[in-house]
Amino acid sequence: MDISSLIDSLHPLEVKVLSTFGSKPSAVLRTEQLSQSTGLEPSQLSMAIEWLLAKSLLAVDTETVTPNVSLTKIGELYFEKYSPIERVLSAARDAAKTGKRLTIQDIQSREGLEPEDVSGAIGRLKKEGALLIIQGGCVEATGRPSQTAEAMRGLLQQLRGAQRDLQAFPKAQQQVIQDHSVKRGNAREPFRIDDRVTRSFKLSVAGIEAAQQLSRQGTAAEVSQLTPELLKDGSWRTKRFRKYTISLRAPRIAPGKRHPYREFLDTVKTKLVSMGFQEMRGSLVETEFWNMDALFMPQFHPARDIHDVYFVKEPTHASSIEEPFLSRVAQAHQRGGETGSTGWNYLFNAERACRLVLRSQGTAVSAHTLAAQPDVPGKYFSIARCFRYDQVDATHATDFFQIEGIVLGEDINFRTLLGLLNLFAREVAQAKEVKFLPAYFPFTEPSVELHVRHPKLGWMELGGAGLLRSEVTIPLGVSVPVIAWGLGLDRMAMVALGIHDIRELFTDNLDLIRSTRGAS
Amino acid sequence: MPTITIFKQDLEGLLTGPGEARQLLTMEQLEESLMLVKGELKGQNPDTGELRIELQDSNRPDLWCCEGIARQIRLKRQGSHVKYNFLTTPRKPAKRLDVAPGLEGVRPYIAACTATGYRVTQEGLTQLIQTQEKLAEMFGRKRRTVSIGLYRLAAIEFPVAYDLVKPDEATFTPLGMDTVMTLGEMLLVHPKGLEFGGILAGQNRLPYLRDAKNQALSFPPIINSREVGEVLVGDDAFFVEVTGTDLSMVVLTLNIFAANLADRGAVIEPIEVRYPYKTALGKAVITPQDLGKSQKLPVSTIEQALGQELDAHDVAKALTAYGYQVTTSGKGLRVMPPFYRQDLMHAMDIVEDVAISRGYSDFLPVMPSQFTVGGLSRIEEFSDRIRALMVGMGFQEIISNILGSPQDLRDAMRLEGTEWGKLVEVDNVMSQNFSALRQWMLPSLLRIETASNRAFYPHRLFEAGEVARPDPTQSVGSRTVTLLGGMIAHADAHFSEAHSCLDTLFYYVNQAYSLEPIQHPSFLDGRVGGIVSGGIQVGVIGELHPEVLERWQIGVPAVAFEIDLTELAERA
Repeated sequence: MDISSLIDSLHPLEVKVLSTFGSKPSAVLRTEQLSQSTGLEPSQLSMAIEWLLAKSLLAVDTETVTPNVSLTKIGELYFEKYSPIERVLSAARDAAKTGKRLTIQDIQSREGLEPEDVSGAIGRLKKEGALLIIQGGCVEATGRPSQTAEAMRGLLQQLRGAQRDLQAFPKAQQQVIQDHSVKRGNAREPFRIDDRVTRSFKLSVAGIEAAQQLSRQGTAAEVSQLTPELLKDGSWRTKRFRKYTISLRAPRIAPGKRHPYREFLDTVKTKLVSMGFQEMRGSLVETEFWNMDALFMPQFHPARDIHDVYFVKEPTHASSIEEPFLSRVAQAHQRGGETGSTGWNYLFNAERACRLVLRSQGTAVSAHTLAAQPDVPGKYFSIARCFRYDQVDATHATDFFQIEGIVLGEDINFRTLLGLLNLFAREVAQAKEVKFLPAYFPFTEPSVELHVRHPKLGWMELGGAGLLRSEVTIPLGVSVPVIAWGLGLDRMAMVALGIHDIRELFTDNLDLIRSTRGAS
Repeated sequence: MPTITIFKQDLEGLLTGPGEARQLLTMEQLEESLMLVKGELKGQNPDTGELRIELQDSNRPDLWCCEGIARQIRLKRQGSHVKYNFLTTPRKPAKRLDVAPGLEGVRPYIAACTATGYRVTQEGLTQLIQTQEKLAEMFGRKRRTVSIGLYRLAAIEFPVAYDLVKPDEATFTPLGMDTVMTLGEMLLVHPKGLEFGGILAGQNRLPYLRDAKNQALSFPPIINSREVGEVLVGDDAFFVEVTGTDLSMVVLTLNIFAANLADRGAVIEPIEVRYPYKTALGKAVITPQDLGKSQKLPVSTIEQALGQELDAHDVAKALTAYGYQVTTSGKGLRVMPPFYRQDLMHAMDIVEDVAISRGYSDFLPVMPSQFTVGGLSRIEEFSDRIRALMVGMGFQEIISNILGSPQDLRDAMRLEGTEWGKLVEVDNVMSQNFSALRQWMLPSLLRIETASNRAFYPHRLFEAGEVARPDPTQSVGSRTVTLLGGMIAHADAHFSEAHSCLDTLFYYVNQAYSLEPIQHPSFLDGRVGGIVSGGIQVGVIGELHPEVLERWQIGVPAVAFEIDLTELAERA
């Protein structure tokens, strides 16, 4: 890195420390001096020093280690209430004055001292000849002075709230401090000795160069933001713009965005329109007539059970069903009517036809279209919300989209049905391999299941289709052959969106919605 | 549709005649063959040979059993139908079954036969019982229209009587019990009585089957007698009867049973049923009986439907290999369906069988060639424009269930008892969570907000979608309307923020609007407005009421608006 880009990368704290050396690049400065001249907090200064050392712009000139004495919590307590040794000696002297016998236990209980503190003090005083232990465990002051006891008071006073270099004390006091300082396993002592490192620093060759460069640059003020004012008066020319660390992570934003599942459905919608399909819309609430009867599902069909369809509570029935559709469909069910069919051979219940349900299949939308004089040839689709009476789990939703439609035309037959399914396979699933399996739907004959080899999923069912039965088309007024088709794309959508539970298509987790990339 | 459990070795055994060597199938061959029966392999256990197969065709009860599946595959492999001699027995049946007067108002029809010479194995018995259950459950609508009884023939003395008795007039020990009880008691205490008793609700006399010695056989459609109505492994002579309310379904069901037992090697002996009342088949009905009618069909009908030129001979061959009896004359066909099928309602049903028999892969797909113009509905186009504008204003689109709960849609919005709180509700509720259609969009947006207090703010959400609004002027009692709902939630969310967005939308769709102060319990009083355009209210905007936020456990202020896109699209 050349020196100028090195300088650009410096943190303001580092710049401050380097600039301190600016005028006298060969100076040796101690930490305290740096602290004074930069005015930085100790923690900021030490950060800056460490960074500069790491970049080899700064070097340690000298490093000295000095033992430093300070008071511990115990020491402060002794200052207030006298140390055990002082208190034992004074108790012994008081006893000597009054001629009373003083046992070790007496000292302990009277002074409220720990036994180990008392015995330590007595041991020391005895060694120094200030105390004697006589018969019966009594102590007796000899009248001689105790060096320790005398030194203790002075030391506690001098060290209160301050730190001192150990070596600044006379030898004898040093000894007392050593003997009464915190050591491993002995925390109850008044003094602590710490090694204090003092360092002095000087600039390295590169550091000198950097400091000189900085002092030259000092004339151009650094700004962080280009402002309209700077542009207006042209003063940006004399400014330096602080360089950014552009490798940092960008702050997060939440863009306006389509929902990923809706985006997928939009793609499908566009594909269908591009293939010549017109969109149909329908009602969420349907009559059983349009939802089932018109689709030639007999009224006794097991899928019309209370356990398969949601019924509407109020009103329960539509006021009427449009004629001539009601009569024609009823005839088709009963005896076939004009459809060439034998019919289901049961008594059609017109009341039942009026029963209101939540639309359970998108084909209901197609049924309405058939009855409304559709274009021939014509292609139609709907992406219809449907409702099934199902327990909700990872693969079953009670509320879902069905993609379905119809194709009408004189050229419609079984082979063009297969051709249309081929087109869907290629355009919607990007599948090159298809399989057609016989299938059953109440409203189509023949019926086909379309299986495709999906590029990611392997063989999967893509949809179902068939030629609408005459029992469906003729009562609704359509005389040309009609394909009815439906596509099951939720599995494809789930793969495209990277989810495994169908409920997540309608998730309430905003983070998930925001972070899903969507179908590509 | 029914899913049945069969065993591969049993199926293979049935592919050839009784006593012949099994014809082994690879799994590929099996899956290929299942196309003939619209069957899908749902599961298998290679160790036991167990196969779980779903049969799609709800009109082909003959296929809901191992014998039926095997029969369809065998036909295709052998190319021709199997002869069932019992259908053409010329002499009058030796055994008789008498129907009592009065049954026409209770459970009018019965069909019966005997089967001898097939010693039932464990596997065979399991299959018989499964078929009995599936047919009664799904074809017989939970025994209402059809139910089936199987008995040990040896103990029965003919003629059998299908009687009508008072609930305490007949007694026997039912299957699954140790004590003798009356029919009335069976309805009250027997599990089957409790399950199926509803079928006989309101009847003061009940169906009862007994033999010539007055020995009880069963109480149709509830339960068999324990003495003669329990078939065991090793039995080789059976009496089979089917009762019900639809004569052709009753006969068909017996036909299927007769075919199944014959396929397993039993000799079927028909029984004559004598009615005291008229039936569609007369007063004396011999069962099993082929009720099929032959029909004429020009080859051209099939060609047109399939989009392929076909030779009459090829069509005949395909249909024969699917079980039909076919005669051809030039370009005309006369076809007769097999006696175990009654699902042919229309020529197209036969067309499909031709296609299935030949195999769908035999037909080359052709692209529909006629030109059509594609396009979106007006409302979808309009809604797409609005969505793009919302995205441009920084809103995240969401998508929600339309089915919700009255609690969320109404109560949590403080709308109980108001016009805004009216809902399209579900009658047969499975879960409160899915018991009403949303009548407006805001609860959908709040649902996301409630769950997303850890997603970083601001939250700007929208959904354009359908709701159902109760409307007595509509035939179905409600109108499906497409709405736009938008919501902004963050610590400083403010009315004017939402107002700006609303204003922008109306500017770009080039429509005029004004805000008029209204009272709406979901919003703070004085901070809510009706959006009026073209003289009618097309939406609402406001700051959500703190109590609403509290009920939804939302900890930040939220402002929201809603517009009726259906209304605006019609004018755009």
